[in-house]
Amino acid sequence: MTDAQGKEPKVRFYRFANRLQSKTGVPAGTAGRISPEALAKAQTAIDEMAQDYPDWAIGQLDQLADRHKRLVFSPDARAEHYKEIHRIAHDMKGQGGTFGYPLVSSISESLYRTTTTEAKYTDSEVEIVKAHIDSIRVILNSRIKDPEGEVGQRVQRVLESVIKKLR
Amino acid sequence: MADFSFRSFRILVVDDSSAIRQLIHSTLDIIGVGTVEVAAHGGEAVDILKKSAKPLADRRYRPGGSSIDFVMTNVDMPTVDGMMLLRWIRRHEESPDRFLPVIMVSSYADPAKVREARDAGVTEFVAKPFTIASICSRLINVIERPRQFVQTADYFGPDRRRRSMPYDGPDRRVLTEDDPGVEVIHD
Repeated sequence: MTDAQGKEPKVRFYRFANRLQSKTGVPAGTAGRISPEALAKAQTAIDEMAQDYPDWAIGQLDQLADRHKRLVFSPDARAEHYKEIHRIAHDMKGQGGTFGYPLVSSISESLYRTTTTEAKYTDSEVEIVKAHIDSIRVILNSRIKDPEGEVGQRVQRVLESVIKKLR
Repeated sequence: MADFSFRSFRILVVDDSSAIRQLIHSTLDIIGVGTVEVAAHGGEAVDILKKSAKPLADRRYRPGGSSIDFVMTNVDMPTVDGMMLLRWIRRHEESPDRFLPVIMVSSYADPAKVREARDAGVTEFVAKPFTIASICSRLINVIERPRQFVQTADYFGPDRRRRSMPYDGPDRRVLTEDDPGVEVIHD
């Protein structure tokens, strides 16, 4: 709204009544909560989804493996396939930890960083992409949820040594 | 402490991952949210928001112009991403409610990304991987602690100062509420 001279103010503050809280049945200014029973039920639903997570994550992993094959056989189109791998890695990074697989998140994050637009599309880098895919496959096939457990630690060590060797 | 009822809420969830969409949808269903709309990217969300417009005079200066109560969106999505969606809600003339609360969910927890979202007018930010507890605590923040909106030449969104902290130094703010350059709009 403009003033008498038709000028817009430099700063405008909008202060409105709390519409959302008034819809919840708990009066504004009063602390409310989400029913603990509902929260527990929601957590159970997530835990159930988490049981199926490795099965459908394998589908994403197969897409990654397919893209890796194309990196190998179509070196001229590597930028395009890197972009898709980068996108899938981003998805897996967000999902893994949410469904109880933090190692899937951390390895996907490493793959995500490896495949940025600044990535070098060399054969060694393509091998590093494959090492990430193989590591995630071991985690999912073996249902490894604990990043500190023996198998989880070993997978991380092997991946790190492959990266070190190839870079 | 009384339990919130979300029966009359309508929430729009935007995520390109069907698994995350399903997860958030289930969570909102279970806590009793009346209607959950879903979109796979910002473009679909814009279409849903346009259709959600309710008749409202002075829409630019009033909240409640949409039947959607708030939006939960992923940041990184193909076509129209979460940051573009947020800017559309806050700035576009076709936005039905530019005061709509927006909770942003992202795997990018780096401070620069959080600042970018804050400066684009985000209401709350949740880092992936998220938990039921982290989503619900943001939901409670949006409901219990709405912030005033601030409009300047280069910002429109919830007040970026969340708290009034005790400060003994000189007041360096150029404008006070009594200044003719400041306007306060109430309901």
